[in-house]
Amino acid sequence: MASITPADQPPVARRAPRLSKQLRRDLQAYLFLAPWLFSLLAFTAYPMIASFYFSLTKYSILNPPRWIGVDNFVTMFTNDPLYWKAVANTAYYTFVSVPLSIVVALGLALLLNQRARGIGIYRTIYYLPSLMPVVASTLLWLVLLDPRLGLVNIGLQAIGLPKLGWLSSADWSKPGIILMSLWTGTGSAMLIFLAGLKDVPSSLLEAAMIDGANGWQRLRHVTIPLLTPTIFFNLIMSIIASFQVFGPAYVAGDGGARQAGPLNSLLMYMLLIYRNAFRFFEMGYASALALVMFIVLVALTLAVVRSSDSWVHYEVGRR
Amino acid sequence: MGHDTHGTNRFGRRSFLRALLGGSGAALLAACGQAASPAAPTAAPAEPAAPPTVESVSGPVTLTWSNRYSTATTQEILPLMVGEFEKQYPNIKVDYENPGVGDAYVEGLLAKIAGGNPPDVATLYEPPAEFAARGSLLAIDDYMASAATAKPDAFYPSVLKSTQWQGKTYGLPSSAGAGAIYTNTAMLGTAGVSADRDAFPKTWDDLKALSAQFVTVTDGEVQQAGFVPFVGNSWLYPAWSAMNGGQIYDSAANAYRIDSDQNVEWIEYWVKWLDDQYGGNLEQLTIAGNWAGTYPDSAFHLGRAAMATEGSWASTDAEIPFDWEVMRFPVGPSGSKSFTAFWPNWWVIPQGAKQPEAAFQFIEFVATRGWEIWYQYIMDTPSWRGFPPSVLTTKLVNQTSPERAANVNTFFANYLEDAVEMWTSPVETFAQDTLTAAIDEVLNKRKSAKDALAEAQATCQAKLDETLKG
Repeated sequence: MASITPADQPPVARRAPRLSKQLRRDLQAYLFLAPWLFSLLAFTAYPMIASFYFSLTKYSILNPPRWIGVDNFVTMFTNDPLYWKAVANTAYYTFVSVPLSIVVALGLALLLNQRARGIGIYRTIYYLPSLMPVVASTLLWLVLLDPRLGLVNIGLQAIGLPKLGWLSSADWSKPGIILMSLWTGTGSAMLIFLAGLKDVPSSLLEAAMIDGANGWQRLRHVTIPLLTPTIFFNLIMSIIASFQVFGPAYVAGDGGARQAGPLNSLLMYMLLIYRNAFRFFEMGYASALALVMFIVLVALTLAVVRSSDSWVHYEVGRR
Repeated sequence: MGHDTHGTNRFGRRSFLRALLGGSGAALLAACGQAASPAAPTAAPAEPAAPPTVESVSGPVTLTWSNRYSTATTQEILPLMVGEFEKQYPNIKVDYENPGVGDAYVEGLLAKIAGGNPPDVATLYEPPAEFAARGSLLAIDDYMASAATAKPDAFYPSVLKSTQWQGKTYGLPSSAGAGAIYTNTAMLGTAGVSADRDAFPKTWDDLKALSAQFVTVTDGEVQQAGFVPFVGNSWLYPAWSAMNGGQIYDSAANAYRIDSDQNVEWIEYWVKWLDDQYGGNLEQLTIAGNWAGTYPDSAFHLGRAAMATEGSWASTDAEIPFDWEVMRFPVGPSGSKSFTAFWPNWWVIPQGAKQPEAAFQFIEFVATRGWEIWYQYIMDTPSWRGFPPSVLTTKLVNQTSPERAANVNTFFANYLEDAVEMWTSPVETFAQDTLTAAIDEVLNKRKSAKDALAEAQATCQAKLDETLKG
């Protein structure tokens, strides 16, 4: 039987592929990634790098930046009383609102994790405020917290408590915006906690029940330890968000015009950055402020991540 | 033979990112190259003067104007004003855009100027000195020298000064709403004070004494006030300082005078007023009522305060539901004369404007004859002294009478002759914020007037010096 050897085959002009298969696949992948990469470079990486450069310059936006080294940082720490005011206000907001929002979101998630008729409707109702634009929700709360006619003070008076100044008071303005942020900000965290609760194995809860654990003990020793990865995630996200609080302080503090709330009590760090950049034409100084906040946020996040070894429990092995 | 291996013939991440970075960098560089309307005011100026010839604008020109007016009333006014301008200057067309409302407007304007794509004309609520000191506005003195109407002496001196920096003029003020004390005629009548302006107190002491007659307090809460001078309208601070013989900023010397004896005395006077009539606790007073201004929801508007400060525009905008009068500010213990403050609408030509001649003709029109259209809708007192006194705000005419509208019009126009010099600092906004915070600290009893003003003085002077250094 005659065999067909390669030599017998008709000569075919084989064209070497110009691009290898792998290269074509890579290019395709990059092509699809390109819009995102472009926006990352143009709208995140470039501004970050530019901001770092501007932080070392005197830059009014209207004139070219002029190199001044670390002068902006020296001014910030030694010669700007509003800097420390903004740091104190933001720290107050963070240390009160973050734990409070986590506790409230977890409590709501536990309540809404019940099997009850129409539970989906309740979940939607509690989630809805987080979909509301910040300006709209803040304006709503400005009415609710009005010292004279607001529903909150009317409620306080109804139970025999004195009227509070809320946003007209240097002492009560921050609790006022914390209240606002609780209303608008806990929806997302609650949803994440709900998802986390669904992951708690019912076998463990049943085993604890058989061992005689009551509801509180099951929550304390089974549910919460298994929720710690979710708490960890929500904690980091809340810390970052709290440092960047702007909308409520901006709207309630009259846009930072003249003063951000009574005695600048609503002068949050982001508002200080904004005022310097667009109100005082100090974009260089504002960039320095932003850089310091970035560094503090990174440090805080790393500290929380490092501490997680001792309090975050993963169901299967370590991370 | 196996397929080609990774790393041999691959368009790597680094190569790709390098290419992308180059592309985006090139792209970036390329990118850088309220009130209800009055009843049918007439659109055209009442006494239109012959328009000047447009000698310098030879062919058809389209101006870009960054407009910051966004209220319903202004949306009615602007097409009329622009239409009238285009009728008088057929070679020039005006394209106006609204880059944002409030602070967003400034952000948009800054981005345009920084990006090398400024509009030909911009409207400002922020003092032109802040932009001029940073080299972003065109000086218009040469244009003014040969202008038909917008000559330097055609405007109230203090008001025109608000557009100047280091001796040069960087814009035109179309209006300058002066501040005054609004009074509730009926309430003052109960105290035996007539609505006659001559009968109104001429000194702070007399005004304070009059105010005391109206104050009522129940269970420690102020129910009714006479006059609360220290809440709201902080733009009037330069006038308060001048009423007591002081000054906040001396533009000729490039120096702040915040901690002068007169200013310390002024703030201490307010603290004593707060203590004597309102229990000394600003926060409790604020909880008890909105004592600022004359707009709806204010204590004045609700008949809970006999007097309040506000600008001329409130005559029509605030829709005060009772008979009212406007009075001059009285004189402080160390002062010798009544002064008012004002808040203009400024019109400027940014550096790099493509059509500066046509732009000047537009701002000249708006700041002079063109303002007649605006004024028929809103009582923003014209800064042009040649403004025909026969032009009245239709809304006020409808609400009261032509005689009454003319009377109020004349009051504010005359009061502008006694306007204090203000808005002239290149760090004006920063200084106003700093001073407001300092006064708030004093009124809240956190600091003494002397200490708070001394700190504000040091902060503002340092910022000014740093800005002047460039």
